[in-house]
Amino acid sequence: MVLRFAVLAAWLALLSPAFAQQRLQVVTTTTDMRSLTEAVGRDLIMAVNLVPASMDAEDYQPKPQDVLRIKNAQMLVRVGLDYDLWVDRLLAQAGKPEISRGGPGYVDASFAIAVLELRGMSVGPGDGHAHGSGNPHYWLDPKNAEIITGTILEALARIDPANAASYQANRSAFLARLGAKLVEWEAKLAPLKGMPIVAYHNSWPYLARRFRLDFVGFIETKPGVPPSPAHLAGIVKTMRERGVRILVREPQEPERDVAFVASKTGAAIVKLAASVGALPRTDDYISLFDANIKALTSAAAKQ
Amino acid sequence: MIEPLLFLWPSFLVAVCLVGIHAYFGIQVLARKVIFVDLALAQIAALGATVAFMLGHPAQSAATYGYSLAFTLLAAVLLAFTRAWGTRVPQEALIGVIYVVAAAAAILLIDRAPQGAEHLKQILTGNILTSGLNEIAVIVPLYAAVGLLHWLLRRRMTGTGALIWEFVFYASFGVVVTSSVAIAGVLLVFSFLIIPAAIGVMFASTLARQLAIGWIVGTFTSAAGLAASFNFDLPTGAAMVCAFGVALAVAGLLYPFLRGNRQNALRVATATARWTVTTILAAAALQLAAAPRADQPLIDLIEVAVPSLRTLYFTRAEHATFVDASEYAERYRREAEQLNEVERRNRTQGVAFDDFFVARISSFLKSYGEMRKGEQFVMGEVRARARERIRWSVSLGLLALALLFAPVSWRRLWTRTSSCPAWRDRRRQNPVFARQCSRR
Repeated sequence: MVLRFAVLAAWLALLSPAFAQQRLQVVTTTTDMRSLTEAVGRDLIMAVNLVPASMDAEDYQPKPQDVLRIKNAQMLVRVGLDYDLWVDRLLAQAGKPEISRGGPGYVDASFAIAVLELRGMSVGPGDGHAHGSGNPHYWLDPKNAEIITGTILEALARIDPANAASYQANRSAFLARLGAKLVEWEAKLAPLKGMPIVAYHNSWPYLARRFRLDFVGFIETKPGVPPSPAHLAGIVKTMRERGVRILVREPQEPERDVAFVASKTGAAIVKLAASVGALPRTDDYISLFDANIKALTSAAAKQ
Repeated sequence: MIEPLLFLWPSFLVAVCLVGIHAYFGIQVLARKVIFVDLALAQIAALGATVAFMLGHPAQSAATYGYSLAFTLLAAVLLAFTRAWGTRVPQEALIGVIYVVAAAAAILLIDRAPQGAEHLKQILTGNILTSGLNEIAVIVPLYAAVGLLHWLLRRRMTGTGALIWEFVFYASFGVVVTSSVAIAGVLLVFSFLIIPAAIGVMFASTLARQLAIGWIVGTFTSAAGLAASFNFDLPTGAAMVCAFGVALAVAGLLYPFLRGNRQNALRVATATARWTVTTILAAAALQLAAAPRADQPLIDLIEVAVPSLRTLYFTRAEHATFVDASEYAERYRREAEQLNEVERRNRTQGVAFDDFFVARISSFLKSYGEMRKGEQFVMGEVRARARERIRWSVSLGLLALALLFAPVSWRRLWTRTSSCPAWRDRRRQNPVFARQCSRR
């Protein structure tokens, strides 16, 4: 019995480095980036996300294991736009120039994205330019997945040129599937065009732009600061005037404040996931949109 | 006028209820010198609720409340017994330890279930603004029962009796705090607890009078905080906590005038004010002389209040550049804002912009940001250079002003020196003192 375990352990020890070498090790900050990276890498890569699903990536506290994950990685995919600033400190600690800013395995997925709501200045360590921070939830426009997967493909082909053709084929297949889905989603959301919606946090400008949704207000004006009475009274007034029937909340947002506004206005609360895995049945990038759009359409149908 | 009242009266009623029970407990807590006990108990209750959540009970169920209560009672036992124990280590140390360990343990538990973070936050960060009649229906009978219990046991609740009465005190306090923290949040509950009680204890010696003062002060301060929060568009809890802070400061300032020797109080107050002004002026002088390009808090503050002060030390050319740059910075900000607004409206109105056009808007916004930063750099540079030019003259002036305010009687230094003391040698370098000594 003991012998059998020893043999098994020896086999595993022999196998694991070979295994690790075969599959490219990728670390992503969020589950969304992981899902998109996997769409390009498929079984040629091994991707892990640092922030667990449904945790707020903006105030994530890295754990010791995260340094280890970064040390073992050959590629890093981050959201950028000040959304995951903490990863800079992790990279400095792990001391891996090849996946740090400027290295071949460093992917800032916000590269070449048309950023919305740019105002003010970025607080992150940049390249000396005053790039505004903008709204960081750009992956919520499915069309942006084309740009994001393009940036990821470029990095993968740079690190692993032998498999470049496979990565290219994977991405094309994913984009074809996404394109077909996009037509379906646009058709499903057509009845919601111009229907006024209020959300707790401003996570949705990219989704709104793509599907022509009308977010008329937000309960939270600044992240982490509770709304003032004047603002809350204003929101309630707007909702009554414009007949807002849908109130969007993400699972990690305070239930009580949203419930309070709903009770004042009679609007229905719809739980949407801003990230893959934040809600059940949002296991990858495409099912994230499937679930959100189903929740929105069924709430709108009940009105 | 009617609209804010309609919006705020439920919060005000909740605040009155909370002040009612917490002013009483605050007096008890001050007497026992266990100031932070409410934080520890609230955190323990949150840990209990977290455990219940991890075991699969929904947020507002009886089981969750049961776990909270069980953990709180356990902490009450600990607190009651350590009073008799803690001779060398103050009890406050143990309270702090309970707080941090409970908080850390809850984080460790939550780490296993990310959805729980929101759950934990909900227990510890209530929002009094979104509370109302539902909460009042729960807390009024609860607080009335606790109040009645304490009234019946009023001879036992002195903090010196048998351990069982201490346990009853901490247990009932835990029940109150668990409910109030969920409604108003940790910061506000702490203010409700300590500040009305402290003001009451300051101005009265019997429990009944202390309570009356605490209730009146607490009610009026809550109303003022709520009004300020609505008028100035501020988060309610934080505005109320600051209002309570102001109330305590005012009470503290009034105390020596109402209770102590009025003349003495006036003298101390003047001396303190003069020392404060002297220190601020001297520090500003040193800062300007040492680092004219760095922030100058005093000068910056005065310039914000009186922008025309700049013309005093800017040259005409500098002033023109500064005004020009600030106008451009404002223009870029406005144009970026307009562009953002156009993009936002286009999400639902008119023909949708294509992706290329949106990308162009985005890069325009980036450019506006850079240009605005450039103008702000020009403004900063102009000001820094002007300040470098005047660093010595203005800091000397500030220093002279500081000496003028210093509460040292200069006249006495000049005249009354009957015998030259031992420090004469040290001051010989100074011609003023040297002359004084030689004259006598």
